[in-house]
Amino acid sequence: MSAPVASLAVLSHAARCRTHCPYCAYQCGVVMSQPGGGAWTVAGDPQFPVNNGQLCIKGWTAAELLGNPERVTTPLMRTTAGKLAPAAWGEALDFVADGIRRIRAEHGPEAVGLFGSGALTNEKAYLLGKFARLAVGTPHMDYNGRFCMSSAAGAGNKAFGIDRGLPFPVSDIADAEVILLVGANSADTLPPIMQWFDRQKANGGRLIVADPRRSATARTADLHLPVTPGSDLALANGLLFLAIEERLIDEAYIASRTVGFDAVRSAVLTYDPPRVERITGVREAALRTCVRWLAEAEGAMILTGRGPEQQSKGVDTVLAFINLALALGKVGRPASGFGTLTGQGNGQGGREHGQKADQLPGYRLIEVDAHRAHVAKVWGVDPASLPRKGKSAYELLDSLGPDGGIRGLLVMGSNVAVASPHAGNIINRLKSLDLLAVCDAFLNETSAEADVVFPVYQWAEEEGTMTNLEGRVIRRRAAAASPPGVRGDIDVLRELATRLGAGDKFAFHSAPEVFEEFRRATAGGTADYSGITYDRIDREEGVFWPCPAEDHPGTPRLFAERFHHADGKAKFHAVTHRPAGEEPDADYPLYLTTGRYKEHYNSGAQTRLVSTLAAAQPRPRAQLHPHLAARLGAERGSVLVLETRRGRAEFAADVSHDVRQDTIFVPFHWGGRGAVNLLTNPALDPTSRMPEYKVAAVRVAAVRPPTDQEVPA
Amino acid sequence: MTRPALAIIGNGMATARLLDELAARGGLTKFAVTVFGEEPHGAYNRILLNRVLMGGAVDEITLKPRAWYAERGVQFVPGVAVTRLSHAAQRLWTSDGKEFFFDTAVFATGSTARVPDVEGLRRPDGTMKRGAFVYRTAADVQQMRHHARPGMRAAVVGGGLLGLEAAKGLSDLGLSVTVVHLFDVLMNRQVDALGGQFLRRAIERLGITVRTSVSTKAVLGDKRVEGLSFGGETLPAEMVVFSSGIKPRIDLAQESDVPCNAGILVDDQLRTELKRLYAVGECAEHDRTVYGTVQPIYEQCKVLADVLTGADPHAAYRGSKVYTKLKVAGVEVASMGRIDADRTGDECVQVIEEARGVYRKLVVRDNRLVGAVLVGDSSAAAGLVQLFDDGSPLPPNRLDVLASGEAIPGGGGSDPEVCNCHHVRTSALVGAIRSGCDTLPKLSDQTRAGTGCGSCRGQLANLILQNAPSTTRKG
Repeated sequence: MSAPVASLAVLSHAARCRTHCPYCAYQCGVVMSQPGGGAWTVAGDPQFPVNNGQLCIKGWTAAELLGNPERVTTPLMRTTAGKLAPAAWGEALDFVADGIRRIRAEHGPEAVGLFGSGALTNEKAYLLGKFARLAVGTPHMDYNGRFCMSSAAGAGNKAFGIDRGLPFPVSDIADAEVILLVGANSADTLPPIMQWFDRQKANGGRLIVADPRRSATARTADLHLPVTPGSDLALANGLLFLAIEERLIDEAYIASRTVGFDAVRSAVLTYDPPRVERITGVREAALRTCVRWLAEAEGAMILTGRGPEQQSKGVDTVLAFINLALALGKVGRPASGFGTLTGQGNGQGGREHGQKADQLPGYRLIEVDAHRAHVAKVWGVDPASLPRKGKSAYELLDSLGPDGGIRGLLVMGSNVAVASPHAGNIINRLKSLDLLAVCDAFLNETSAEADVVFPVYQWAEEEGTMTNLEGRVIRRRAAAASPPGVRGDIDVLRELATRLGAGDKFAFHSAPEVFEEFRRATAGGTADYSGITYDRIDREEGVFWPCPAEDHPGTPRLFAERFHHADGKAKFHAVTHRPAGEEPDADYPLYLTTGRYKEHYNSGAQTRLVSTLAAAQPRPRAQLHPHLAARLGAERGSVLVLETRRGRAEFAADVSHDVRQDTIFVPFHWGGRGAVNLLTNPALDPTSRMPEYKVAAVRVAAVRPPTDQEVPA
Repeated sequence: MTRPALAIIGNGMATARLLDELAARGGLTKFAVTVFGEEPHGAYNRILLNRVLMGGAVDEITLKPRAWYAERGVQFVPGVAVTRLSHAAQRLWTSDGKEFFFDTAVFATGSTARVPDVEGLRRPDGTMKRGAFVYRTAADVQQMRHHARPGMRAAVVGGGLLGLEAAKGLSDLGLSVTVVHLFDVLMNRQVDALGGQFLRRAIERLGITVRTSVSTKAVLGDKRVEGLSFGGETLPAEMVVFSSGIKPRIDLAQESDVPCNAGILVDDQLRTELKRLYAVGECAEHDRTVYGTVQPIYEQCKVLADVLTGADPHAAYRGSKVYTKLKVAGVEVASMGRIDADRTGDECVQVIEEARGVYRKLVVRDNRLVGAVLVGDSSAAAGLVQLFDDGSPLPPNRLDVLASGEAIPGGGGSDPEVCNCHHVRTSALVGAIRSGCDTLPKLSDQTRAGTGCGSCRGQLANLILQNAPSTTRKG
């Protein structure tokens, strides 16, 4: 793919535009064009140094979202007959504002909740958080990134004093001698990142993958550790046990750059290989190989994905891997260190600027007085008027309805009816609301329950910044015209705020206007964007935060000199293995774990509408081992009825040697009877409030013969 | 209001674990906890004593430094023995004459080395002759280390798990070591007769001499150890280490009228037969079993903490499944559950590989794995122990579960996926190229590779260059 770089500049903006993919945190650069003025096409941007022109199949087909016949182009309101019907913007906005006012008057502002998304630009995420605190006055503002990055975020903050997913550009991957990927299936979830792993391999590097499945990523690895679901923490502690036993730890580094190692040394002493083999299922020889490779490499990386993070001990699990990276002296060295691979498009920026229940812009904390004072000053309000900390995502959703206390909800860019654990409960909760308003470009399982749907711009139709998985702040540019009748989320918030009497705080008509205030709000915070401008982003192919001044170069690499705690040291945390919220037992004897297909993104609300993707992967299948299938009398295509303590769902069987014999894997991109989140367990991490998507106890309640429709292609 | 006093007698691995389990349930604030330990150190990990033998400090294997107790409000009374306990008076007395009241007491007194009563071992005062050791405490091991000199001859009496570890440690220190074992099979509790032969050869390959079916009758030497006598035959040695098993320490419990058999008798909630008195770990006997490995002790501690704190008043300990591995570099031994098919209908699967020095055996009952012995290659153990634990049915071909180390046999990397969009692997592409798809369009038509994102097209072109029949001579 050799798009002629030089010619890009001379083409008119309307005909050809550089922007970024609508989907994941890798945020590939794309070049959009409209050959012959017809349908838009998308190609990889060879100039953007992250993807270098590569795209995955989702990216290549993303243009199908523009001009898609399913697009919502007019506000919809539920009629007395219970159907969503077209309505005028003014009518829909009045209805929602009246609803919020009425609920506030009768039940107080805490009876209104807001739910945001890691898909929103920084400007919109910032504005939505501000809207919750100022226009509505509720503490209950959270977002779907809670389901994604909160455990890694919690661990990063504890250990390093900062939460930036990768403390280095992805290009550093190519130079790492050894990489341990824990519960990350990047080949399917961030396909273009594999070019850096390919280069790493070409440079003689080694890759180790820990995953209960032999995933597409694990297949490329030099060593695969097929861990028992929920046992990653024991794996990490077991590796550190061996590092200590084999005298592989870096005592000088530990002494000069960290605090708290002694307690960790004691805590891991009981993670001897037989115990760790028994918990993890990983053989001792593989454990030893893994830790030796890591220790002996000049530069070694440990990168986590959602596998270890989406657990009820997710924070402690990530801390255990950070402990290992620190003890081996790998953090802050060139092409080396610890990172987490962020999932959603703006999963990084979205977790920094006040969409979280406990947070204010710039990664400030809503319970810290100095932080409240700074943000209140930017917003021109009394700090005391800001609400305190609210409910986390699942707890917020589980509080919807009269008995939970949250009677009205505004959802922006998230399909909570599919993406939440124990989704059957959440759907019932949504049904019990007095008011549900949804901002989205397409209808989905969540808007199916809405009273009002606001049709809003999608990715290529509006300006805004995103922060990719490296912490690089980039620009999405408006390439395509939006269909008539559609408006922006910024417009919706302005119009609602005006009707709620806070119009002066939301008088924004464009993303650049929001960005200027947003920069000031982040100034001096941990995630300081104040030195970043749209022009700089254009000139520099993105700017890495923290960037506290316009003449500051940005920070591609963290931790070379110091960590972000006051003393400059990284902190060890003694953590110990504990069982998952639910372990297999006689009634539910198997593990259920969830994940992704490379053809789909999140709840599938967008990708299920793209014909190429829907044809390639039309439905979810339950992956199980041939031994297990034989015991159940199932074959490829058999319909498996899976049951947990929370629900029941049906999937075609995908019989494969690539999964542990005690584990069933199902992707989560579908709703209805094929929604695996009907089965998942909302056991929450005590720190991050992350639900346990990756471990539940399941049984196969019935096996039915294959039907024509359900036999996979 | 004063907190109820919880006395924990003993400060070994069970106590360290029990304290953690109590802490996790708020037990350290609910009770005023006092821990009595005979050794001067905080609790340490006994199964890592070889690190001390090899010159490491006790700190390196310390689970709970002394500061740990103070920081958590636990009263730690080190260096004294509890000499008397009165159930009726709810009091105990220590060797330095102090008296302590308790509401609840836990015996965690562990075990001592079982030393055979052989002639010439002890001095008139009852202590062991210079050069004779047991392999049990940090102090024992430090003394062994102090005594041992390269070139010295050492005899290790007892060829069980601990004995072999001690033998390897001494051998690594440069001593000439002979293991003297009473039975004809080394590690006879974990390994069957045939496996024992493989184990013996593996140990001998380390340069350690093995003598089986010999009974030590006397320790030779006047003031210091000069050898062993087996009743006729003698073995010269300047050092002898007894590792002939352990016995539960139940003397205090017995003297306090707590019913005991081999160990202190406990029920499913680790209660002794006397109210408010509990026992846990190697000193406890549950369902006619005394455990000497660490995993069962952890399981007991969890239940005991649930019971003591009321976190789960119905918690019950139902016995443990035992899995052990030999920690001797160069000799892989893993054992779980039953080592022999001892019931009608039990299946036994044995794989004997003389050339590799590998012996593997499965014991199957009702289609479930109830035991395994692996000698020479324990890579299958991690997968087997999970089948042993979860009791799931085995595949019809039992060899499948021995085929590899892990739950998912076979490594990655051998047949990498080239086209990530359509999941096309190298082998499929090479096959297509060899059968005539020698251009990119033909290959893509046939396999779909390269028709998604297209990022693999360079790799496809390379594969064609390397594998197409007409171009193979190039380069």
